[in-house]
Amino acid sequence: MAGELEGCKPLSGLLSGLAQNAFHGNSSITEELLHSQLYPEVPPEEFRPFLAKMRGILKSIASADMDFNQLEAFLTAQTKKQGGITGEQAAVISKFWKSHKTRIRESLLNQSRWDNGLRGLSWRVDGKSQSRHAAQIHTPAAIVELEFGKSGQESEFLCLEFDEVKLKQVLKRLSEVEESIGTLMQAA
Amino acid sequence: MEESPFRERVLDAKSEVTCQLVDFQWKLGMAVSSDRCRSLKYPYVAVKLKVADPSGQVNTKSIEMTIPQFQNFYRQFKEIAAVIETV
Repeated sequence: MAGELEGCKPLSGLLSGLAQNAFHGNSSITEELLHSQLYPEVPPEEFRPFLAKMRGILKSIASADMDFNQLEAFLTAQTKKQGGITGEQAAVISKFWKSHKTRIRESLLNQSRWDNGLRGLSWRVDGKSQSRHAAQIHTPAAIVELEFGKSGQESEFLCLEFDEVKLKQVLKRLSEVEESIGTLMQAA
Repeated sequence: MEESPFRERVLDAKSEVTCQLVDFQWKLGMAVSSDRCRSLKYPYVAVKLKVADPSGQVNTKSIEMTIPQFQNFYRQFKEIAAVIETV
């Protein structure tokens, strides 16, 4: 039966399922589902610790946001451990992390954001024309609609009006942010 | 590669009222670690917008964005400023 677990074809699927559940919040991917779909011949009492081991390895890799050198060192250590993984399994895990790392990291970042996240921005510019009784001549205005929301919640919308003066003020603030980012990136 | 690009589309005004921006605060933060990920290393821009609706009522909204999202946000505002000058 151990040979069944060592086979690598279903391991890739298992890692996908684990990632869906652990990082992307898909609770429909259960242990039972993974077992019946990927390792139906393996008795549950053998499958359970195997799943836990793979889950632990994947979580360690994701938590440390391992680069490829760290990954190789980590997986090599796992192959040398008592009750660790095989060289073939290490190769499957390595391949999986390389192709899913960005998506998993993005999910982890989203989970750590508890405030509103920006989801959309749309805008138009209106040219206000003179009306018969109003004093203003031609004051163009920009209408900006921001879409934002908390993770997993519906979007909120905010509609803002800016004249040229206001826009300049905002741009000044935004350029301060950009300068700050530049400083941060240099220091990194 | 654009990381989480946010939607850019023709303004369709889902919000019912148009507000004025009263104040704009910003901060550049770095999320270092969390219970789910010990190595986050995630820089982000958070803006706090104080807005007044037509009745004069003031509200505050906080919005967070990634660095690429901020750069897109800034680019959009520069574009708006360029267009408004030509009107």
